[in-house]
Amino acid sequence: MERIVLTKNIADGPQTFDEYVAEGGYQALDRALAGSPQDVLNAVTESHLRGRGGAGFPTGQKWGFTASEEATPKYVVANGGEDEPGSQKDRVVMENAPHRLIEGVLLASYAIGASEAILYVNSQYSVAHQRLEEAIARAVDAGYLGKLGMSLRIHPAPQEYVAGEDTASLEVIEGRKPLPRVKPPFPVSKGLFGSPTIVNNVETFAYIPAIVAKGPEWFRSQGSEDNPGTMLFTLPANVRNPGVVELPIGTSLRELIEVHGGGLASGKGIKAVLPGGPSSGFLRGDDLDVAMDRQTLMERGSALGCGVLRIIEEGECIVEVADDIAQFFAREQCGQCPACTMETNTLAKITSQIRAGAGSPALLDQIPKLGAFAKGKGQCSLISMPIPPLTTAIRLFADDFTYHLEHHGCWAAAQS
Amino acid sequence: MARSKEINTCLVCTNVDCASRGSKDLLESFKDQLGTAGSLIDVKPYLCFGACQDGPNIVLYPEGTWYMGVQQSDVDEIVAHMLGGEPVTRLTERVDPGLRDLILEILESGMIDL
Repeated sequence: MERIVLTKNIADGPQTFDEYVAEGGYQALDRALAGSPQDVLNAVTESHLRGRGGAGFPTGQKWGFTASEEATPKYVVANGGEDEPGSQKDRVVMENAPHRLIEGVLLASYAIGASEAILYVNSQYSVAHQRLEEAIARAVDAGYLGKLGMSLRIHPAPQEYVAGEDTASLEVIEGRKPLPRVKPPFPVSKGLFGSPTIVNNVETFAYIPAIVAKGPEWFRSQGSEDNPGTMLFTLPANVRNPGVVELPIGTSLRELIEVHGGGLASGKGIKAVLPGGPSSGFLRGDDLDVAMDRQTLMERGSALGCGVLRIIEEGECIVEVADDIAQFFAREQCGQCPACTMETNTLAKITSQIRAGAGSPALLDQIPKLGAFAKGKGQCSLISMPIPPLTTAIRLFADDFTYHLEHHGCWAAAQS
Repeated sequence: MARSKEINTCLVCTNVDCASRGSKDLLESFKDQLGTAGSLIDVKPYLCFGACQDGPNIVLYPEGTWYMGVQQSDVDEIVAHMLGGEPVTRLTERVDPGLRDLILEILESGMIDL
Protein backbone atom coordinates (compact mmCIF):
# COMPACT_ATOMS: atom_id res chain seq x y z
CA MET A 1 0.00 0.00 0.00
CA GLU A 2 1.01 3.59 -0.51
CA ARG A 3 0.32 6.25 2.09
CA ILE A 4 -0.99 9.52 0.70
CA VAL A 5 -1.39 11.81 3.72
CA LEU A 6 1.02 10.51 6.34
CA THR A 7 4.02 10.14 4.03
CA LYS A 8 6.21 10.79 7.04
CA ASN A 9 5.77 8.48 10.02
CA ILE A 10 3.91 10.20 12.86
CA ALA A 11 6.63 9.05 15.27
CA ASP A 12 9.23 10.96 13.24
CA GLY A 13 7.55 14.28 13.96
CA PRO A 14 5.81 16.86 11.81
CA GLN A 15 6.76 17.24 8.18
CA THR A 16 8.63 20.50 7.61
CA PHE A 17 8.08 22.81 4.64
CA ASP A 18 11.42 21.76 3.12
CA GLU A 19 10.63 18.07 3.56
CA TYR A 20 7.24 18.56 1.95
CA VAL A 21 8.72 20.41 -1.02
CA ALA A 22 11.47 17.78 -1.35
CA GLU A 23 8.89 15.03 -1.82
CA GLY A 24 7.08 17.05 -4.50
CA GLY A 25 4.95 19.31 -2.31
CA TYR A 26 3.42 22.38 -4.01
CA GLN A 27 4.22 20.96 -7.46
CA ALA A 28 0.52 20.16 -7.86
CA LEU A 29 -0.32 23.81 -7.21
CA ASP A 30 2.37 25.04 -9.60
CA ARG A 31 1.02 22.73 -12.28
CA ALA A 32 -2.59 23.70 -11.56
CA LEU A 33 -1.78 27.40 -11.86
CA ALA A 34 -0.33 26.71 -15.31
CA GLY A 35 -3.61 25.06 -16.31
CA SER A 36 -7.17 25.91 -15.41
CA PRO A 37 -9.41 25.58 -12.32
CA GLN A 38 -11.56 23.20 -14.34
CA ASP A 39 -8.61 20.80 -14.63
CA VAL A 40 -8.39 20.59 -10.83
CA LEU A 41 -12.14 20.14 -10.55
CA ASN A 42 -12.07 17.38 -13.15
CA ALA A 43 -9.23 15.56 -11.39
CA VAL A 44 -11.03 15.66 -8.02
CA THR A 45 -14.34 14.57 -9.58
CA GLU A 46 -12.74 11.72 -11.50
CA SER A 47 -10.83 10.58 -8.42
CA HIS A 48 -14.20 9.68 -6.81
CA LEU A 49 -12.83 11.01 -3.52
CA ARG A 50 -15.48 11.08 -0.81
CA GLY A 51 -15.43 13.47 2.12
CA ARG A 52 -13.69 12.08 5.20
CA GLY A 53 -15.74 13.91 7.83
CA GLY A 54 -18.32 11.16 8.16
CA ALA A 55 -21.04 11.72 5.59
CA GLY A 56 -18.91 10.55 2.65
CA PHE A 57 -20.35 12.94 0.07
CA PRO A 58 -18.47 12.97 -3.28
CA THR A 59 -16.00 15.86 -2.99
CA GLY A 60 -15.83 16.73 -6.69
CA GLN A 61 -19.62 16.96 -6.90
CA LYS A 62 -19.73 19.32 -3.93
CA TRP A 63 -17.03 21.52 -5.42
CA GLY A 64 -18.79 21.50 -8.78
CA PHE A 65 -21.92 23.01 -7.22
CA THR A 66 -19.97 25.92 -5.77
CA ALA A 67 -17.79 26.38 -8.87
CA SER A 68 -20.92 26.79 -11.01
CA GLU A 69 -22.42 29.48 -8.73
CA GLU A 70 -22.13 32.96 -10.19
CA ALA A 71 -22.28 34.84 -6.87
CA THR A 72 -19.03 36.07 -5.35
CA PRO A 73 -17.07 36.06 -3.13
CA LYS A 74 -16.70 32.33 -2.61
CA TYR A 75 -15.23 30.64 0.43
CA VAL A 76 -13.46 27.45 1.41
CA VAL A 77 -13.73 26.14 4.96
CA ALA A 78 -11.49 23.33 6.18
CA ASN A 79 -13.29 21.73 9.09
CA GLY A 80 -10.89 20.69 11.83
CA GLY A 81 -13.38 20.97 14.69
CA GLU A 82 -12.93 17.25 15.42
CA ASP A 83 -15.39 16.73 18.23
CA GLU A 84 -16.10 13.10 17.40
CA PRO A 85 -15.29 11.31 20.67
CA GLY A 86 -11.90 9.60 20.44
CA SER A 87 -11.02 10.83 16.97
CA GLN A 88 -7.50 12.18 16.57
CA LYS A 89 -6.97 12.01 12.84
CA ASP A 90 -7.74 15.65 12.07
CA ARG A 91 -5.33 16.75 14.77
CA VAL A 92 -2.67 14.49 13.23
CA VAL A 93 -3.27 15.98 9.76
CA MET A 94 -3.04 19.53 11.10
CA GLU A 95 -0.02 18.88 13.31
CA ASN A 96 1.98 16.47 11.15
CA ALA A 97 1.03 17.33 7.57
CA PRO A 98 0.16 21.06 7.74
CA HIS A 99 1.71 21.96 4.38
CA ARG A 100 -0.16 19.19 2.58
CA LEU A 101 -3.41 20.39 4.14
CA ILE A 102 -2.72 23.97 3.08
CA GLU A 103 -1.79 23.00 -0.47
CA GLY A 104 -5.06 21.05 -0.63
CA VAL A 105 -7.01 24.08 0.62
CA LEU A 106 -5.28 26.34 -1.93
CA LEU A 107 -6.05 23.90 -4.76
CA ALA A 108 -9.69 23.81 -3.65
CA SER A 109 -9.83 27.61 -3.54
CA TYR A 110 -8.37 27.78 -7.05
CA ALA A 111 -10.80 25.12 -8.34
CA ILE A 112 -13.94 26.93 -7.14
CA GLY A 113 -12.65 30.50 -7.40
CA ALA A 114 -12.57 31.29 -3.68
CA SER A 115 -11.06 34.53 -2.45
CA GLU A 116 -10.76 33.43 1.15
CA ALA A 117 -10.20 30.16 2.97
CA ILE A 118 -10.64 29.53 6.66
CA LEU A 119 -9.11 26.73 8.70
CA TYR A 120 -11.66 25.96 11.42
CA VAL A 121 -9.51 24.39 14.12
CA ASN A 122 -10.54 22.80 17.44
CA SER A 123 -9.78 25.48 20.04
CA GLN A 124 -8.03 22.93 22.29
CA TYR A 125 -5.49 22.01 19.60
CA SER A 126 -2.80 24.56 20.47
CA VAL A 127 -0.01 22.70 18.68
CA ALA A 128 -2.08 22.45 15.51
CA HIS A 129 -2.84 26.18 15.70
CA GLN A 130 0.85 27.00 15.98
CA ARG A 131 1.97 24.66 13.17
CA LEU A 132 -0.76 25.89 10.84
CA GLU A 133 0.16 29.53 11.53
CA GLU A 134 3.75 28.70 10.60
CA ALA A 135 2.65 26.77 7.51
CA ILE A 136 0.43 29.65 6.37
CA ALA A 137 3.40 32.01 6.77
CA ARG A 138 5.53 29.71 4.58
CA ALA A 139 2.83 29.60 1.89
CA VAL A 140 2.62 33.40 1.98
CA ASP A 141 6.42 33.73 1.75
CA ALA A 142 6.50 31.30 -1.16
CA GLY A 143 4.07 33.61 -2.95
CA TYR A 144 1.20 31.15 -3.33
CA LEU A 145 -1.50 33.24 -1.68
CA GLY A 146 -0.41 36.23 -3.75
CA LYS A 147 -0.59 34.26 -6.98
CA LEU A 148 -4.08 33.10 -6.08
CA GLY A 149 -5.14 36.57 -4.90
CA MET A 150 -6.61 35.08 -1.77
CA SER A 151 -6.31 35.08 1.99
CA LEU A 152 -6.09 32.20 4.43
CA ARG A 153 -6.71 32.36 8.15
CA ILE A 154 -7.48 30.22 11.19
CA HIS A 155 -10.68 30.43 13.19
CA PRO A 156 -10.98 28.55 16.51
CA ALA A 157 -13.76 25.97 16.75
CA PRO A 158 -15.61 25.58 20.06
CA GLN A 159 -15.28 22.15 21.62
CA GLU A 160 -18.88 21.05 21.29
CA TYR A 161 -20.10 18.10 19.25
CA VAL A 162 -22.54 20.08 17.14
CA ALA A 163 -19.89 22.73 16.33
CA GLY A 164 -18.41 20.29 13.82
CA GLU A 165 -21.60 20.30 11.74
CA ASP A 166 -20.87 22.18 8.52
CA THR A 167 -23.41 25.00 8.85
CA ALA A 168 -22.68 25.32 12.59
CA SER A 169 -19.05 25.98 11.64
CA LEU A 170 -20.22 28.81 9.38
CA GLU A 171 -22.26 30.31 12.24
CA VAL A 172 -19.16 30.25 14.45
CA ILE A 173 -16.97 31.89 11.80
CA GLU A 174 -19.65 34.57 11.44
CA GLY A 175 -19.38 35.20 15.19
CA ARG A 176 -22.40 33.35 16.50
CA LYS A 177 -23.10 30.21 18.51
CA PRO A 178 -22.57 26.79 16.88
CA LEU A 179 -26.16 26.14 15.83
CA PRO A 180 -26.87 24.20 12.62
CA ARG A 181 -28.82 26.13 9.97
CA VAL A 182 -31.99 25.13 8.16
CA LYS A 183 -31.11 23.41 4.86
CA PRO A 184 -31.72 24.09 2.02
CA PRO A 185 -30.13 26.44 1.11
CA PHE A 186 -26.95 24.38 1.32
CA PRO A 187 -23.55 26.01 1.92
CA VAL A 188 -22.47 25.23 -1.65
CA SER A 189 -24.87 27.98 -2.82
CA LYS A 190 -25.45 30.07 0.34
CA GLY A 191 -22.78 29.44 2.93
CA LEU A 192 -20.43 31.77 4.75
CA PHE A 193 -21.88 35.30 4.88
CA GLY A 194 -24.53 34.06 2.42
CA SER A 195 -21.94 33.30 -0.27
CA PRO A 196 -21.17 30.01 -2.06
CA THR A 197 -18.94 27.97 0.24
CA ILE A 198 -17.44 24.52 0.33
CA VAL A 199 -16.96 22.99 3.76
CA ASN A 200 -14.82 19.86 3.85
CA ASN A 201 -13.11 17.92 6.57
CA VAL A 202 -9.37 18.69 6.87
CA GLU A 203 -8.44 15.11 5.98
CA THR A 204 -10.34 15.43 2.70
CA PHE A 205 -8.16 18.37 1.64
CA ALA A 206 -5.01 16.42 2.45
CA TYR A 207 -5.67 14.01 -0.46
CA ILE A 208 -6.04 16.78 -3.05
CA PRO A 209 -2.35 17.57 -3.80
CA ALA A 210 -1.59 13.91 -4.63
CA ILE A 211 -4.76 13.55 -6.70
CA VAL A 212 -3.81 16.61 -8.77
CA ALA A 213 -0.13 15.62 -9.03
CA LYS A 214 -0.53 11.91 -9.75
CA GLY A 215 -3.95 11.83 -11.35
CA PRO A 216 -7.35 10.38 -10.48
CA GLU A 217 -6.56 6.91 -11.87
CA TRP A 218 -3.62 6.57 -9.53
CA PHE A 219 -5.85 7.58 -6.61
CA ARG A 220 -8.48 5.01 -7.58
CA SER A 221 -5.89 2.21 -7.57
CA GLN A 222 -6.34 1.90 -3.77
CA GLY A 223 -9.49 1.47 -1.76
CA SER A 224 -12.82 0.33 -3.16
CA GLU A 225 -14.51 1.28 -6.41
CA ASP A 226 -17.25 3.22 -4.65
CA ASN A 227 -14.88 4.78 -2.14
CA PRO A 228 -11.29 4.86 -3.36
CA GLY A 229 -8.07 5.87 -1.69
CA THR A 230 -6.73 5.51 1.80
CA MET A 231 -8.26 6.73 5.03
CA LEU A 232 -7.04 7.72 8.45
CA PHE A 233 -8.34 5.47 11.22
CA THR A 234 -8.05 6.24 14.92
CA LEU A 235 -7.28 3.17 17.01
CA PRO A 236 -8.54 3.39 20.60
CA ALA A 237 -6.60 3.46 23.84
CA ASN A 238 -7.31 -0.20 24.69
CA VAL A 239 -5.19 -1.66 21.85
CA ARG A 240 -1.45 -2.18 22.21
CA ASN A 241 -0.63 0.45 19.58
CA PRO A 242 -3.25 3.17 19.80
CA GLY A 243 -3.27 6.19 17.52
CA VAL A 244 -3.79 7.13 13.90
CA VAL A 245 -3.00 4.84 10.95
CA GLU A 246 -3.46 5.37 7.24
CA LEU A 247 -4.75 2.33 5.35
CA PRO A 248 -6.62 1.63 2.13
CA ILE A 249 -10.38 1.84 2.46
CA GLY A 250 -11.70 -1.71 2.55
CA THR A 251 -8.96 -3.01 4.85
CA SER A 252 -10.50 -5.60 7.15
CA LEU A 253 -11.39 -4.63 10.69
CA ARG A 254 -9.31 -7.60 11.83
CA GLU A 255 -6.16 -6.31 10.11
CA LEU A 256 -6.79 -2.86 11.51
CA ILE A 257 -7.14 -4.07 15.09
CA GLU A 258 -4.81 -7.08 15.18
CA VAL A 259 -1.98 -6.12 12.82
CA HIS A 260 -1.88 -2.34 13.13
CA GLY A 261 -3.36 -1.99 16.62
CA GLY A 262 -1.55 -5.07 17.97
CA GLY A 263 -4.77 -6.44 19.49
CA LEU A 264 -6.26 -5.60 22.84
CA ALA A 265 -3.68 -4.70 25.48
CA SER A 266 -5.69 -6.61 28.09
CA GLY A 267 -5.43 -9.84 26.07
CA LYS A 268 -9.20 -10.27 26.42
CA GLY A 269 -11.54 -11.17 23.59
CA ILE A 270 -13.34 -8.55 21.55
CA LYS A 271 -17.03 -8.42 22.29
CA ALA A 272 -18.08 -5.63 19.94
CA VAL A 273 -16.76 -2.79 17.82
CA LEU A 274 -18.17 0.60 16.96
CA PRO A 275 -16.24 1.10 13.69
CA GLY A 276 -17.11 4.72 12.96
CA GLY A 277 -17.81 6.64 16.14
CA PRO A 278 -20.79 6.74 18.52
CA SER A 279 -23.33 7.12 15.70
CA SER A 280 -22.25 3.94 13.94
CA GLY A 281 -23.97 0.63 14.62
CA PHE A 282 -22.27 -2.06 16.70
CA LEU A 283 -20.50 -4.97 15.02
CA ARG A 284 -20.07 -8.28 16.83
CA GLY A 285 -16.60 -9.38 17.88
CA ASP A 286 -16.93 -12.46 15.63
CA ASP A 287 -17.48 -10.24 12.58
CA LEU A 288 -13.97 -8.77 12.36
CA ASP A 289 -13.38 -9.82 8.76
CA VAL A 290 -15.72 -7.10 7.57
CA ALA A 291 -14.17 -4.62 5.12
CA MET A 292 -13.87 -1.10 6.47
CA ASP A 293 -15.85 0.50 3.66
CA ARG A 294 -19.02 2.57 3.75
CA GLN A 295 -21.12 0.21 1.64
CA THR A 296 -20.19 -2.95 3.56
CA LEU A 297 -20.73 -1.29 6.92
CA MET A 298 -24.01 0.30 5.83
CA GLU A 299 -25.30 -3.16 4.88
CA ARG A 300 -24.69 -4.20 8.49
CA GLY A 301 -26.56 -1.21 9.87
CA SER A 302 -23.28 0.45 10.80
CA ALA A 303 -21.14 3.20 9.28
CA LEU A 304 -17.58 4.07 8.36
CA GLY A 305 -18.02 7.57 9.77
CA CYS A 306 -14.73 9.32 10.30
CA GLY A 307 -12.89 6.08 11.06
CA VAL A 308 -12.67 6.30 14.85
CA LEU A 309 -12.89 2.85 16.43
CA ARG A 310 -14.21 1.90 19.82
CA ILE A 311 -13.59 -1.67 20.94
CA ILE A 312 -15.75 -3.20 23.65
CA GLU A 313 -14.03 -6.05 25.47
CA GLU A 314 -15.43 -9.32 26.77
CA GLY A 315 -16.69 -8.61 30.27
CA GLU A 316 -18.15 -5.22 29.38
CA CYS A 317 -21.90 -4.75 29.23
CA ILE A 318 -23.39 -3.37 26.01
CA VAL A 319 -26.35 -1.89 27.89
CA GLU A 320 -23.96 0.46 29.66
CA VAL A 321 -22.12 1.39 26.47
CA ALA A 322 -25.43 2.02 24.68
CA ASP A 323 -26.72 4.15 27.56
CA ASP A 324 -23.52 6.23 27.55
CA ILE A 325 -24.07 6.87 23.83
CA ALA A 326 -27.72 7.86 24.35
CA GLN A 327 -26.70 10.24 27.17
CA PHE A 328 -24.02 11.74 24.91
CA PHE A 329 -26.47 12.67 22.15
CA ALA A 330 -29.08 13.97 24.62
CA ARG A 331 -26.39 16.19 26.14
CA GLU A 332 -24.89 17.38 22.85
CA GLN A 333 -28.09 18.14 20.89
CA CYS A 334 -28.40 21.89 20.49
CA GLY A 335 -32.07 22.32 21.41
CA GLN A 336 -33.18 23.97 18.17
CA CYS A 337 -35.37 21.16 16.84
CA PRO A 338 -38.25 19.97 19.07
CA ALA A 339 -38.30 16.47 17.57
CA CYS A 340 -34.58 16.04 18.31
CA THR A 341 -34.88 17.35 21.87
CA MET A 342 -37.75 14.96 22.55
CA GLU A 343 -36.15 12.00 20.76
CA THR A 344 -32.68 12.24 22.27
CA ASN A 345 -33.96 12.96 25.79
CA THR A 346 -36.52 10.15 25.65
CA LEU A 347 -33.96 7.66 24.32
CA ALA A 348 -31.57 8.63 27.09
CA LYS A 349 -34.32 8.18 29.68
CA ILE A 350 -35.24 4.75 28.27
CA THR A 351 -31.63 3.50 28.22
CA SER A 352 -30.84 4.83 31.69
CA GLN A 353 -33.96 3.14 33.00
CA ILE A 354 -33.00 -0.19 31.41
CA ARG A 355 -29.43 0.22 32.65
CA ALA A 356 -30.81 0.66 36.15
CA GLY A 357 -32.77 -2.56 35.65
CA ALA A 358 -36.21 -0.95 35.76
CA GLY A 359 -38.05 -1.38 32.51
CA SER A 360 -39.99 -3.66 30.24
CA PRO A 361 -39.35 -5.17 26.80
CA ALA A 362 -42.11 -2.86 25.54
CA LEU A 363 -39.88 0.08 26.43
CA LEU A 364 -37.15 -1.28 24.15
CA ASP A 365 -39.69 -1.44 21.32
CA GLN A 366 -40.11 2.33 21.55
CA ILE A 367 -36.55 2.98 20.36
CA PRO A 368 -37.10 2.24 16.63
CA LYS A 369 -40.47 4.00 16.80
CA LEU A 370 -38.79 7.11 18.14
CA GLY A 371 -36.25 6.86 15.34
CA ALA A 372 -38.96 6.54 12.71
CA PHE A 373 -40.83 9.53 14.14
CA ALA A 374 -37.73 11.71 14.29
CA LYS A 375 -36.41 10.86 10.82
CA GLY A 376 -36.04 13.98 8.69
CA LYS A 377 -37.34 16.29 11.44
CA GLY A 378 -34.01 17.84 12.40
CA GLN A 379 -31.95 20.62 10.86
CA CYS A 380 -28.86 18.44 11.05
CA SER A 381 -28.12 14.72 11.13
CA LEU A 382 -27.69 14.48 14.92
CA ILE A 383 -31.36 13.53 15.20
CA SER A 384 -30.67 10.26 13.39
CA MET A 385 -27.38 9.46 15.13
CA PRO A 386 -28.44 7.60 18.31
CA ILE A 387 -30.63 5.09 16.45
CA PRO A 388 -28.03 2.81 14.72
CA PRO A 389 -25.98 2.13 17.88
CA LEU A 390 -29.10 1.53 19.98
CA THR A 391 -30.94 -0.71 17.51
CA THR A 392 -27.83 -2.78 16.69
CA ALA A 393 -27.01 -3.09 20.40
CA ILE A 394 -30.49 -4.50 21.09
CA ARG A 395 -30.39 -6.80 18.06
CA LEU A 396 -26.85 -8.17 18.46
CA PHE A 397 -26.61 -8.22 22.25
CA ALA A 398 -30.15 -9.12 23.28
CA ASP A 399 -28.86 -11.19 26.22
CA ASP A 400 -27.36 -8.14 27.92
CA PHE A 401 -30.67 -6.27 27.67
CA THR A 402 -32.69 -9.27 28.80
CA TYR A 403 -30.46 -9.67 31.86
CA HIS A 404 -30.99 -6.03 32.86
CA LEU A 405 -34.74 -6.35 32.45
CA GLU A 406 -35.08 -9.67 34.24
CA HIS A 407 -32.52 -9.27 37.00
CA HIS A 408 -32.94 -5.53 37.58
CA GLY A 409 -29.25 -4.84 37.25
CA CYS A 410 -26.07 -5.60 35.37
CA TRP A 411 -24.44 -9.04 35.11
CA ALA A 412 -21.05 -7.37 34.72
CA ALA A 413 -21.50 -5.56 38.05
CA ALA A 414 -22.67 -8.82 39.65
CA GLN A 415 -19.49 -10.58 38.49
CA SER A 416 -17.02 -7.99 39.69
CA MET B 1 -57.63 2.74 20.86
CA ALA B 2 -60.14 3.53 23.59
CA ARG B 3 -58.37 5.36 26.36
CA SER B 4 -58.98 5.30 30.05
CA LYS B 5 -60.96 8.29 31.34
CA GLU B 6 -58.92 8.28 34.51
CA ILE B 7 -56.42 11.05 35.21
CA ASN B 8 -53.89 10.18 37.87
CA THR B 9 -50.90 12.17 36.62
CA CYS B 10 -50.39 15.66 35.21
CA LEU B 11 -47.11 15.82 33.29
CA VAL B 12 -45.68 19.31 32.81
CA CYS B 13 -42.76 19.72 30.41
CA THR B 14 -39.95 21.60 32.16
CA ASN B 15 -37.36 21.41 29.38
CA VAL B 16 -35.66 24.59 28.14
CA ASP B 17 -38.37 26.08 25.90
CA CYS B 18 -41.36 25.28 28.08
CA ALA B 19 -39.45 26.42 31.18
CA SER B 20 -38.63 29.72 29.46
CA ARG B 21 -42.39 30.21 28.98
CA GLY B 22 -43.18 29.69 32.64
CA SER B 23 -43.85 25.95 32.88
CA LYS B 24 -42.16 25.60 36.26
CA ASP B 25 -44.57 28.17 37.74
CA LEU B 26 -47.43 26.31 36.07
CA LEU B 27 -46.30 23.10 37.70
CA GLU B 28 -46.42 24.77 41.13
CA SER B 29 -49.84 26.27 40.40
CA PHE B 30 -51.26 22.86 39.44
CA LYS B 31 -49.80 21.33 42.60
CA ASP B 32 -51.27 24.11 44.77
CA GLN B 33 -54.73 24.00 43.25
CA LEU B 34 -55.01 20.20 43.18
CA GLY B 35 -53.68 20.04 46.73
CA THR B 36 -56.22 22.62 47.91
CA ALA B 37 -58.96 20.60 46.22
CA GLY B 38 -57.76 17.47 48.03
CA SER B 39 -57.00 15.69 44.75
CA LEU B 40 -54.58 12.77 44.63
CA ILE B 41 -53.49 13.59 41.04
CA ASP B 42 -49.71 13.61 40.89
CA VAL B 43 -48.14 16.66 39.20
CA LYS B 44 -44.73 15.83 37.73
CA PRO B 45 -42.13 17.46 35.52
CA TYR B 46 -41.55 15.81 32.12
CA LEU B 47 -38.41 15.83 29.95
CA CYS B 48 -39.87 16.90 26.56
CA PHE B 49 -42.92 16.15 24.44
CA GLY B 50 -41.34 17.30 21.16
CA ALA B 51 -43.54 20.34 20.59
CA CYS B 52 -41.32 23.03 22.08
CA GLN B 53 -42.59 25.72 19.69
CA ASP B 54 -46.11 25.35 21.13
CA GLY B 55 -45.20 25.11 24.81
CA PRO B 56 -45.73 25.07 27.65
CA ASN B 57 -47.04 21.55 27.08
CA ILE B 58 -49.03 19.49 29.56
CA VAL B 59 -50.24 15.89 29.19
CA LEU B 60 -52.84 14.28 31.43
CA TYR B 61 -52.19 10.58 31.96
CA PRO B 62 -53.49 7.97 31.31
CA GLU B 63 -56.54 9.81 29.96
CA GLY B 64 -54.36 11.38 27.24
CA THR B 65 -55.39 15.01 26.87
CA TRP B 66 -52.49 17.19 25.66
CA TYR B 67 -52.71 20.91 26.33
CA MET B 68 -50.48 23.29 24.39
CA GLY B 69 -49.51 26.90 25.03
CA VAL B 70 -50.81 26.73 28.60
CA GLN B 71 -50.86 30.03 30.50
CA GLN B 72 -51.46 30.78 34.18
CA SER B 73 -54.92 32.05 33.17
CA ASP B 74 -55.77 28.54 31.90
CA VAL B 75 -54.92 26.73 35.15
CA ASP B 76 -58.41 26.99 36.73
CA GLU B 77 -60.11 25.45 33.71
CA ILE B 78 -57.53 22.66 33.34
CA VAL B 79 -57.81 21.81 37.04
CA ALA B 80 -61.60 21.70 36.63
CA HIS B 81 -61.11 19.18 33.79
CA MET B 82 -58.80 17.07 35.92
CA LEU B 83 -61.42 17.06 38.67
CA GLY B 84 -64.12 15.72 36.35
CA GLY B 85 -65.13 18.72 34.23
CA GLU B 86 -65.01 19.22 30.50
CA PRO B 87 -61.73 19.39 28.50
CA VAL B 88 -60.46 22.85 27.49
CA THR B 89 -60.68 22.25 23.75
CA ARG B 90 -59.13 25.56 22.64
CA LEU B 91 -55.78 24.32 24.02
CA THR B 92 -55.86 20.97 22.20
CA GLU B 93 -56.43 22.05 18.61
CA ARG B 94 -52.81 22.17 17.39
CA VAL B 95 -51.77 18.81 18.84
CA ASP B 96 -50.21 16.39 16.31
CA PRO B 97 -52.16 13.14 16.78
CA GLY B 98 -49.23 10.95 15.66
CA LEU B 99 -46.86 12.56 18.13
CA ARG B 100 -49.47 12.33 20.89
CA ASP B 101 -49.93 8.61 20.26
CA LEU B 102 -46.16 8.05 20.34
CA ILE B 103 -45.78 9.91 23.64
CA LEU B 104 -48.69 8.01 25.21
CA GLU B 105 -47.30 4.68 23.98
CA ILE B 106 -43.92 5.48 25.52
CA LEU B 107 -45.62 6.33 28.82
CA GLU B 108 -47.67 3.12 28.67
CA SER B 109 -44.51 1.11 27.98
CA GLY B 110 -43.45 1.87 31.49
CA MET B 111 -41.29 4.94 31.37
CA ILE B 112 -40.86 5.80 35.02
CA ASP B 113 -38.96 8.30 37.13
CA LEU B 114 -40.40 11.07 34.97
